[in-house]
Amino acid sequence: MILLAAILVGLVAGLLLARLRNLAWTVPPLRKPWLAILAFLPQLLVSYLPARSQVPDGLAALGLIASLAVFLVFCWFNRRLSGVWLLALGLLLNLLVMALNGGFMPISPQTASRLVPADTQAALASLASGTRFGLKDVLLLPAQTRLVWLSDQFLPPREFPYQVAFSLGDIVIAAGAFWLMLTSGRPLAAFKKNQPEKPPRKNNDQMVKESEC
Amino acid sequence: MKNQIFSFATKINRNHVQVAFALLALVLFVLGASAPSDGGWVPH
Repeated sequence: MILLAAILVGLVAGLLLARLRNLAWTVPPLRKPWLAILAFLPQLLVSYLPARSQVPDGLAALGLIASLAVFLVFCWFNRRLSGVWLLALGLLLNLLVMALNGGFMPISPQTASRLVPADTQAALASLASGTRFGLKDVLLLPAQTRLVWLSDQFLPPREFPYQVAFSLGDIVIAAGAFWLMLTSGRPLAAFKKNQPEKPPRKNNDQMVKESEC
Repeated sequence: MKNQIFSFATKINRNHVQVAFALLALVLFVLGASAPSDGGWVPH
């Protein structure tokens, strides 16, 4: 949910930029948006609905990976939009680390302990390595984690009121969503102020002829 | 009542639907592709 803030901040920044450049801000013209909705459906079943605890881990992992693969296809259809390459890169990083760790995003018990209230710490400590945690995560010791640097290992400062663990891929996705909303998917050159056209550069032959005159 | 519904329906044009659809797609993409954890669910 925290990453939705990137869309909102990008929207506000995009509106300001468009106003400064005297351009109309438009929603990025995403192609085949139904693909994103289709991709989200398996996640809705295995991660978001209350019945998720009834779904076997193997099936849930398969659903998550299949969902990310369809999101990748969605990125391919929208590859010409500015910012989508960042979204695709972040998605690929998350897909890679999840696929290599049983289909879920690995998180270390130490990082997870920052996310649960004090009265749940004992329950968390009793969980075995490999147990599902949160929506898409799995508890894994760093030594057991493949590509640990891509796992949910980043945390905000302790003083931050909302504690959330996120991955490098999440950061890249947030940057991509911000960029897409900022530019409406247009190349950045479209926002540059109109500059007078420079005269074409003269080649050597022309310069020689002029000097002879 | 029927007239009100009809009037509302005619005000929603194809562009509005496309904009809503694109925004929904982007929100679902960000929710689906990212994997942050706030520890919202600890199995017992």
